[in-house]
Amino acid sequence: MRRDVQAIILLLIGGATLRITLSGTYLNYVKEVMQPFLILASGLLVLFGILGLIDVLRSSRVPAGEAAAEADFEQQLDDELDGHVHGHDHSHGPRAAWFLLLPVLAIFLIAPPALGAFSAARETTNAIPDLSEAQAPPLPAGDPVPVRVSDYIGRAVWDDGLTLIDRTVEMTGFVTPDPDGGWWLSRMSMACCAADAFASRIKTVDAPDLPADTWVTITGTWIPGGGTQSADAIPLVVVESWVEVPQPRNPYD
Amino acid sequence: MTDQRATSSRYRPGSLELLALGLLVLIVGQGWLVGFFDDSPALQTGTTVFVAIVVQALPFLVLGVVLSGAIAAFVPASFWRKALPKNKVLAVPVAGAAGAVIPGCECASVPVANSLMSRGVTPAAALAFLLSAPAINPIVLAATFVAFAGQPEMVLARFVASLGAAVILGWLWLKFGKAQWLRIGPRGHLVGSNSWHTFRLTAAHDFLHAGGFLVVGALAAAAINVLVPPSIMQAVADNPLLSILVMAALAIVLSICSEADAFVAASFTEFSLTAKLTFMVVGPMVDLKLISLQAGTFGKSFVVRFAPATVVVTIVSSVLVGWWLFT
Repeated sequence: MRRDVQAIILLLIGGATLRITLSGTYLNYVKEVMQPFLILASGLLVLFGILGLIDVLRSSRVPAGEAAAEADFEQQLDDELDGHVHGHDHSHGPRAAWFLLLPVLAIFLIAPPALGAFSAARETTNAIPDLSEAQAPPLPAGDPVPVRVSDYIGRAVWDDGLTLIDRTVEMTGFVTPDPDGGWWLSRMSMACCAADAFASRIKTVDAPDLPADTWVTITGTWIPGGGTQSADAIPLVVVESWVEVPQPRNPYD
Repeated sequence: MTDQRATSSRYRPGSLELLALGLLVLIVGQGWLVGFFDDSPALQTGTTVFVAIVVQALPFLVLGVVLSGAIAAFVPASFWRKALPKNKVLAVPVAGAAGAVIPGCECASVPVANSLMSRGVTPAAALAFLLSAPAINPIVLAATFVAFAGQPEMVLARFVASLGAAVILGWLWLKFGKAQWLRIGPRGHLVGSNSWHTFRLTAAHDFLHAGGFLVVGALAAAAINVLVPPSIMQAVADNPLLSILVMAALAIVLSICSEADAFVAASFTEFSLTAKLTFMVVGPMVDLKLISLQAGTFGKSFVVRFAPATVVVTIVSSVLVGWWLFT
């Protein structure tokens, strides 16, 4: 692989990452705390790419004698990049750097969205922490009171809904169709990145059918049902009102 | 002048032209491509997971290549030979324990271990460091403590089982390893006009190299993530032996960074503590992403021997420590 192409690949992968980090799209894939590290890392890659291009331009302008020495040096680099796998396996080697174009293409051409109903429907459990040891604190004041989907599940499943009685809650999530009819109000959470994301789901009652992946904010009340004290439990919410909303800036819970 | 050399020294398809042509075709075909992905939620989810793994790993990988570039450019070769005990048998546990103080994930430790070897550190000690650093560094242990809030003994179990496996594998390499199995990156050539130039060339080279293999691993992990129904693995949890083997296999295919794997392990609520421990001991030492990274760095003949040995030693170590601490 030529050195100018190497520099361009560094620029592309660094530039693509920098772009999604600055535009906020990175929140579809990783946590917010990653932002400074992503800016630093992708900025460094862009810098390496620019300096690499400058190296190439410079070496094409130096006098003949120096150019020959420089060419030898570049030849060495190229030999290292292309050559040291000869006699081993051609599929492994510096040509692997071409693969770095795949995430660049995925980011620029496909711009994959945040995980949605497809992932939420695959989960068999609500992966929320076991709160059976600790009593949930009362909900803050407010009518309706905004609650996160996972918080609602924690209170309903591991605290028998005690803190939800007689309260109207407001929750935002996306629609995941329930194979048994109706839909779950769902939200994905990630431990680290979208690769290890898990779903939180609440079964809606008295809600009109909505297409999968529609983002909604609902107000509603808790009713018993769906099971307690188990990760398999999917609690219920009676929907009093709902409104379609744009996907939140950070789609993960 | 690069063009001239490209045609005169050996046949090159002209990688710059190839790059430009490929990009052009993709830009023209974008509409079709996007439509194709929009129609398939599975393909879309797989792409999201793929990009997520690459983006998540990128800062750690850059940190790793910067470290390895700094080692190559600024640390004199003699330092490493002085820092580690002369006795190779003793150097292995010392290098393994050094992994406990240097933060860095597994993607980062591959280039670091490579530059340690090319700086004259005995391969067995560099391998012990390669294995232990991502498994027992302070960040990972803190994450494990948070993920297993009610069970602090999990942190101890992870530390003991991982360090034990790393040291045993280092000693195994010392006893049975052959130099010709291991291709150590020819760092000698990569010398720039000054230390900073060397640093930049080494870091950029390592990034292109390791990054390509990270992408291959991320592709595999994303495909499996989307294709294997989660309900299948749930059915396995009840069988103690099978659950351990399945958690080990999952750790290998999912290729999750060690900073994150404790949270994933903790989410497998049906599985035994020993099975979760196995997941966290195996994953940082051997997974698809690491296998392809190591194959690219150390060569295929290294990886076909080292990866299976690592799988066996890490599973045995986890089961023994789990049996000791959890029963």
